[in-house]
Amino acid sequence: MIAILPTLAEPQSFSLSEKLLFAALAMASVYSFWNLFGRILNKILQSKKDSSFRLFPITKRIWDFFWEVLCQAKVVRERPLPGLAHAFVFWAFCAFALVTLNHCAVAFGIGFLNPAGEFARLYFYVAAAFAFACAAGILGLFVRRFLVRPKWLGEQLSYQSGVIALLIFVLMATYLAAFFVTDAGPDARILWWVHTLTLLTFLPLIPHTKHLHLVLSPATVFLSRGGFAQIPPLAGDEDFGLVAGADLTQLVSLQAYYCVECGRCTEHCPAANTGKLLNPKEIILGVRAYLNNLGPASDQPLLGKYNSQEAVFQCTTCGACEFQCPVGIEHVPILVGLRRGAVNTGAWEDEHGGKLFLALERGSNALGLSPAERDKFIEKQALPIFDGTQEYCLWLGCMGGYDPKGREIVTAFARVMKFLGTSYGVLRKEKCTGDPVRRLGNDLLFQQLAEANLETLAQNKVKKIVTICPHCVRTIQEDWKEYGAPPQVEHHSEFMARYVDKLPKQPSEEKVVFHDPCYLGRYRNVYDEPRKVAALAGDLVEAPRNKERSFCCGAGGGLAFLGEEDGERVSHKRAAELVATGAQTIAAACPFCNTMFRDALAATGESAPQLLDIAQLTARGLPE
Amino acid sequence: MKIIVAIKQVPERDAQVRINAAGKWIEEVDLQYALNESDAYALEEALQLKEKHGGEVTVVSAGPERVGQTIREALAKGADRAIYVASNDLGSRDALGVARLLAAAIQPENPDLILTGLQSEDLGLGQTGVILAEVLGLPHASLILHVEKTETGLTVKRELEEGWFQTIELPTPAVLTIQSGGNKLRYATLMGIKRAKIKEVRQVTASDLGVDVPPVVLMEGVTMPHKQKSTQMLGGSPKEAAAALVEKLKFEVRVL
Amino acid sequence: MSGVLVVVEQHAGRIARISWEACAAAQHLGAQLSLPVSAVIVGAQVEAQISEVAARGLPRVARIEHPLLAQYTADGFTLALEQFVKAEQPDYIVFPHTYQVRDYAPALAARLGQVLISDVVAIGDGPVFTRQLLQGRLNGSYRHVGTGPCIISVQAGAFRAGETEKCAAEVTVVSPTIDPTQIRTKPGEPFRGSSQTVDLGSAQLIVSVGRGIKDAANIPIVQELATALGAELAASRPICDNGWLPMERQIGSSGQTVSPKLYLAVGISGAIQHLVGMKGSQCVVAINKDPDAPIFEVADYGIVGDLFEVVPALSAALKAAKG
Repeated sequence: MIAILPTLAEPQSFSLSEKLLFAALAMASVYSFWNLFGRILNKILQSKKDSSFRLFPITKRIWDFFWEVLCQAKVVRERPLPGLAHAFVFWAFCAFALVTLNHCAVAFGIGFLNPAGEFARLYFYVAAAFAFACAAGILGLFVRRFLVRPKWLGEQLSYQSGVIALLIFVLMATYLAAFFVTDAGPDARILWWVHTLTLLTFLPLIPHTKHLHLVLSPATVFLSRGGFAQIPPLAGDEDFGLVAGADLTQLVSLQAYYCVECGRCTEHCPAANTGKLLNPKEIILGVRAYLNNLGPASDQPLLGKYNSQEAVFQCTTCGACEFQCPVGIEHVPILVGLRRGAVNTGAWEDEHGGKLFLALERGSNALGLSPAERDKFIEKQALPIFDGTQEYCLWLGCMGGYDPKGREIVTAFARVMKFLGTSYGVLRKEKCTGDPVRRLGNDLLFQQLAEANLETLAQNKVKKIVTICPHCVRTIQEDWKEYGAPPQVEHHSEFMARYVDKLPKQPSEEKVVFHDPCYLGRYRNVYDEPRKVAALAGDLVEAPRNKERSFCCGAGGGLAFLGEEDGERVSHKRAAELVATGAQTIAAACPFCNTMFRDALAATGESAPQLLDIAQLTARGLPE
Repeated sequence: MKIIVAIKQVPERDAQVRINAAGKWIEEVDLQYALNESDAYALEEALQLKEKHGGEVTVVSAGPERVGQTIREALAKGADRAIYVASNDLGSRDALGVARLLAAAIQPENPDLILTGLQSEDLGLGQTGVILAEVLGLPHASLILHVEKTETGLTVKRELEEGWFQTIELPTPAVLTIQSGGNKLRYATLMGIKRAKIKEVRQVTASDLGVDVPPVVLMEGVTMPHKQKSTQMLGGSPKEAAAALVEKLKFEVRVL
Repeated sequence: MSGVLVVVEQHAGRIARISWEACAAAQHLGAQLSLPVSAVIVGAQVEAQISEVAARGLPRVARIEHPLLAQYTADGFTLALEQFVKAEQPDYIVFPHTYQVRDYAPALAARLGQVLISDVVAIGDGPVFTRQLLQGRLNGSYRHVGTGPCIISVQAGAFRAGETEKCAAEVTVVSPTIDPTQIRTKPGEPFRGSSQTVDLGSAQLIVSVGRGIKDAANIPIVQELATALGAELAASRPICDNGWLPMERQIGSSGQTVSPKLYLAVGISGAIQHLVGMKGSQCVVAINKDPDAPIFEVADYGIVGDLFEVVPALSAALKAAKG
């Protein structure tokens, strides 16, 4: 079968001058590659060590490498068609490793793959198949970038990408063409030289363009910090977050260099989508530009010429950027890191932000209200006080304790727990978990709040916490770890989902659309539980952006407490999407989303669907 | 300009108020403390003056050991150094006694300006600054929202009642009591706290200062106020309800 | 002379109610201790006010006059009263707790070796003086233990300045010795706070309107109420979002934070974003048709009813009350 197919043509012998020419060009190409790549590598290596980085356990890293790099799973999943095209290019490059090595060796007569041999023939055919797929893929990507032009790729056409696409195409074409010529003629020689020159041009271009990721991203996927939107602990007494170049860690520098500028982060960013200054891709490229121009030892502030403070404080920390990034850039820790740098040194001045900090420096809740208001609520609803005998501590949070809507959610959830016969109690005093100040980068205040709360919980011997607020859940479980061992905590959706069989199903044709809160979905990977609960109340419909791709309500990252936003309100945009589903009811699972949508729906007018938390929806079906 | 800011540590505004066994004050176990609000504004004013004109800001505070935390907070916000007047019996001193103590601690410093908050959130006497001026023989102005340094001294903006203000000129050294709200307060930062660790806190004790005078006013005890805030609903027809409300606004709220 | 001395405060010839309340407190104290009560008024030319003071049932009134007392200075007033008190030797001195008194009375007391018991809200047997502590969350009882005069200042509204029997008063005029160099501060003329932009932050009275108003066309109803009350008009976020009132009048987490003496919320349900902006108000009045609206939880006075009926009725009642 193979025998009747053409074989790959190779020039048979090279003259001394040809050899010398090739050697010289190859050396120039490698030198040119290394000249820049070496400098980049140097900048990364000279960056500060990541003190919290641990290589082990390594199995997860190996798996991620296999799945995300070798299988290209994330690239394909998030954008199937271009993703597949990209995967073909990647796989072809892998397949070409041997081919290219052999190709160069041939010049010196030391080719190790004999085109006539069984193995080599087979291998060349496999490579040819990949080359074909790759050529088709790169052509597709070229069409997409230069003709379709999706907006998140940027206004400016990237000619670099065009050149690279052309080079890749030529590489594949010259390889494939070699099957159709004979070894002896000048054609094989011409093809060899065209292929070689293309290759030698391509190599030095890599570090000059975003194609640097060819070399760097396998490493970064392998070395990823792990976890989602993890904010690393500050290292030592002189670490205040990302203040200047000297604070950029190796991982951050590495990420800045391997960004492929695909724009997925910006495509999904709620700030960028509502006319704000923040563009997560530009943030990463800003760090890269800083490193290129000033280097990792500079004491120039990171916020200023290369990145804007205003933009950094427009982030809702929804994590859509980080979730989408195909090369594993950790946007949230970088954005929060830049905020930490500004807040921990006092460089950030904001009227509302300052008020929030002062309210929490002096008081117990982010709303700056008197705790007597919380006491009144507990008394009015006759919520039991936690005394160590109950199974759960019902954590109210600022919204559950003070916000009228949040209180309704707590009251509804308390009814559900009572119906299920679960014993619970609320604490006499709580402080804010520190979620908004953590995300805004105020480490001093966050530490104070976390420590005070951990102490209260320990004193009260709390073992299990349940709360209506996904922000509280995240902060207690992940962020408090820096300062102690928090009790087990879960969101009320997870609690109710466990008992879904015992909760009454409401005979209703009501169409219900569930909005995934960022801190429950992307941050906690909880998607099905709240849906199971919401389904008790009616027929679930989905918004076009849902689950992992859910669009933020605009409240996260402390932004609920900052002033009026520029451009369109994020909450209005999301509320409009939810209204457009035609659902009669919007089911929320976060008191912040709830309050944001409440305002946004008010602008929709009389026809707005009702907005209820899943606990309220569930309580509706309970006997009076 | 050499500025001294007298600050006080007070129970956190959210603190639970329970009367202690002796009935003399509130239960202090589990109580959390904070910098008195108008003192925070006094400190802010001092820091802004220093940023504008140079000089040094020294905070002085009296009280038991826990006051150290508030002193560090003030150092973290930007004060250069501190004088801590260690005293466990502040409660038994009256306003004059406390002011004399502070005056004795401040006098050797020879400051150009002494700032205090208008009044404390716990005792609310609102006198320490004014008495301090009297004891030190310095001119003073109270309820100050803004301070400007002039060739000869200071020009300050003083709050009067009902939305009126007044400008006062006075020579230095002088004592000013600062009203809340004149500036935007800065928040405490991690860097500030770390830097504060190496700043000087000089400790003196009440006996070092040699100020011991018997009080002329005594607080004999404390009680919980009876009135709990609750909403009074005014019923009847719209007209009746409106009339009832006007009555309340006139005699209870006293805004008409 | 022994007895109770009340220091009456005048501004541009006007005596504010709080001074009459101080008179009432002094009379209360005098009755309790069977001590005569006299009054003193400080200024440059305060003759015209004397009859007013005398009319409050105070048989002895002194006026301290000096050209250097024409404008208030702490130095001038302290000196004048120091001389007066040393000469008269009263047992008790009662001040109204005004901004002016807060500025000089503590210094005067210190000069006399005394301590002012400030901001008194009640006088009990003993006499024991009650003051509010911890911003009203606790009461403290104070007693004067030294020799010399006991000096107090009384909180506005704590004592009711009722009508008293008029009596003929013995008026004395005192001229203190004050040297111009003893007055170290130079006060300027009082001026109003800048009012070029809406300054809700320093407004004393605010009428705020919420979604209950339903339509931009209804805004004049609450505007009229604000005018009748002499208040600033403000709004919750949805009202400003709709452009019914300018953004700078928005109260709440994304707008302004206010702390007026009176906050009258009309058709505002009380979302948390709004509550955080007005929580510092001394008195909150809510008018809402929903008896369960959260605004009632923070209100001191509430009227459940249709704002389109209640508000015009209230405007009318206010106009009538103000004459």
